[in-house]
Amino acid sequence: MTLPRWSLIAALSLLTLVAAIASLLFGAVDLSVARLIAAATGDGDKVASIILFDLRLPRTVLALAVGAMLGLAGAALQGYLRNPLAEPSVLGTSNAAALGGVAAIYFGLADIHPIVLPLLATGGALVSLALLVALAGQAESPLTLILAGIAVGTLAVAGTSLALNLSPNPFAAMEIMTWLLGSLENRSFDHVWIALPCIAIGTAMLLWNDRALDALTLGEDAAQALGTDLKRTRLRLLLGTAIGVGGAVAVAGAIGFVGLIVPHLIRPLTDRSPSAILLPSAIGGAALLTLADLGVRIIPSTNELKLGVVTAFLGVPVFLVHLMRERRLW
Amino acid sequence: MPRRGLLAATALLGGAGLLWAASPVPAAKAPAVPKRVVSINLCADQLVLALADRSQIAGLTKNATDREMSGEALAARGIPLLSNSAEQILAIEPDLVVGMPASRSAALAALPQQDYPLLDLNTANTLEEIHTSIRQTATAVGHPARGDALIARMQSELAGLPKPGKGRVAAYYQRRGYMTGTGTLIDELMTRVGLVNLAGKLGKPPLSQLSLEEMVAAQPDFLIVESATDTVIDQGSEMLHHPALKDISRISVPQAWTVCGSPAYTQAARSLAEQIARIGSKAS
Repeated sequence: MTLPRWSLIAALSLLTLVAAIASLLFGAVDLSVARLIAAATGDGDKVASIILFDLRLPRTVLALAVGAMLGLAGAALQGYLRNPLAEPSVLGTSNAAALGGVAAIYFGLADIHPIVLPLLATGGALVSLALLVALAGQAESPLTLILAGIAVGTLAVAGTSLALNLSPNPFAAMEIMTWLLGSLENRSFDHVWIALPCIAIGTAMLLWNDRALDALTLGEDAAQALGTDLKRTRLRLLLGTAIGVGGAVAVAGAIGFVGLIVPHLIRPLTDRSPSAILLPSAIGGAALLTLADLGVRIIPSTNELKLGVVTAFLGVPVFLVHLMRERRLW
Repeated sequence: MPRRGLLAATALLGGAGLLWAASPVPAAKAPAVPKRVVSINLCADQLVLALADRSQIAGLTKNATDREMSGEALAARGIPLLSNSAEQILAIEPDLVVGMPASRSAALAALPQQDYPLLDLNTANTLEEIHTSIRQTATAVGHPARGDALIARMQSELAGLPKPGKGRVAAYYQRRGYMTGTGTLIDELMTRVGLVNLAGKLGKPPLSQLSLEEMVAAQPDFLIVESATDTVIDQGSEMLHHPALKDISRISVPQAWTVCGSPAYTQAARSLAEQIARIGSKAS
């Protein structure tokens, strides 16, 4: 079923808007819609305005931005690598960014300047992507890339645990869990200002690649013949992914599988060209993560669920279905 | 600096739960003045340091010199620190082991043939229970008069302590949103300076978790935090610095004074009263 591009984008935007409004309406404290509207228009009580503007709004903005970044990164990586399983968490990029973030916070580097945290997270992501391209960039089988990604990701997870265990923090176990599974609990506008610039740059660099990605479906030689500068395309793609995912992970932890699920849900609705799924994947990612974040708040549990738990439950079946398809080719 | 407030608090709560099951102390009789006293509990460390001669102390827990956790950290310097291992205790051959309670120690359970004299202290959740622990420890280390003197000093320090809280509501808010409830030393301290514990008002258990939204909705007059969380060191402490809490007056107390029922109780009470009074005068 192929939808006209504008109607797909309009439908996804509507879904995202609904998710964002729901995210503002629900939380640990029950506030009536009337009270929230009063707070939003500026003549509400103090409690309602603090909850709306200081707690729920930054959380919603981050869910939208981080979700969009992860969805887009998944779509771009799948297009560029021509691998249906490629996405930031499967390739270890998110975990490597988390390692950079952990190093920035626990060794006190983040106190030097607010930019150090996203910078180190971006650095971690970049190193992992470079490692990945070096290890498996030219491989014939798409599974080689996934295996290399698992190796890079496992190494980053081990590094994160090691860094936290070495830091003089007795609460390391709890912190490791948050970094590796991701959470948007207790985020403030400070976090929004850290993540948003990175995500904006990352999004711009990835959307720029649409033509090159389409050309690459014909193979590298054909793409070059069509005038694609492969080196520049690769640089933009790697830098855009690293900066965007780095900024997202720096404030939200490594949330898995968003970049895997969303492009696969979007693709059947489009003409399947890599460029056609980029923007819809970003909007869809924003909707998905906002809904998942709403889920962790609504599902009753003693401690709030981690976001990565919800996205893994959604994402692993998609991953397995595609893995099974790959197996037929063996 | 290690910050183990929550862990210590949880351990204390767990210890309190186990107490009812503790059997009466069997064990050998301690000499009138023991010469090799070993403490196997952070809270017992502080009592032993305050009441025994330095030369009597043969070993303390590994956290005894941690200024974030123990009110007697400076006094503990230079004394051997044990990592709760049976081997180390065996090598010392103590003639008194003080714990909370000592008879349930895993390290001692590993030495069933050894019949060391034990002193079982209860977790002190009130001033009265602190005094009881002081008397028991003072008698066991052979200096009962020091115990009476210490209690008298604490009482004089608390005499005339004002109650500036005037029935206002306070929440003892720890990293990751843990809140200390009623039946705890913190709760008793709040009552002593005239504050009402938010946890009691909301009917929460001794240790509960309250989200930022719930805290904002509850709007207590004061947040009491551990001074270790005054700076952001990780995500757990970052939560206490969320802008949503900026309008609630903040009182910060070192957990070294509050994590144990110890002589530092009076310091904690006076610091609370002073900080409330200071905030009160600023607001008016």
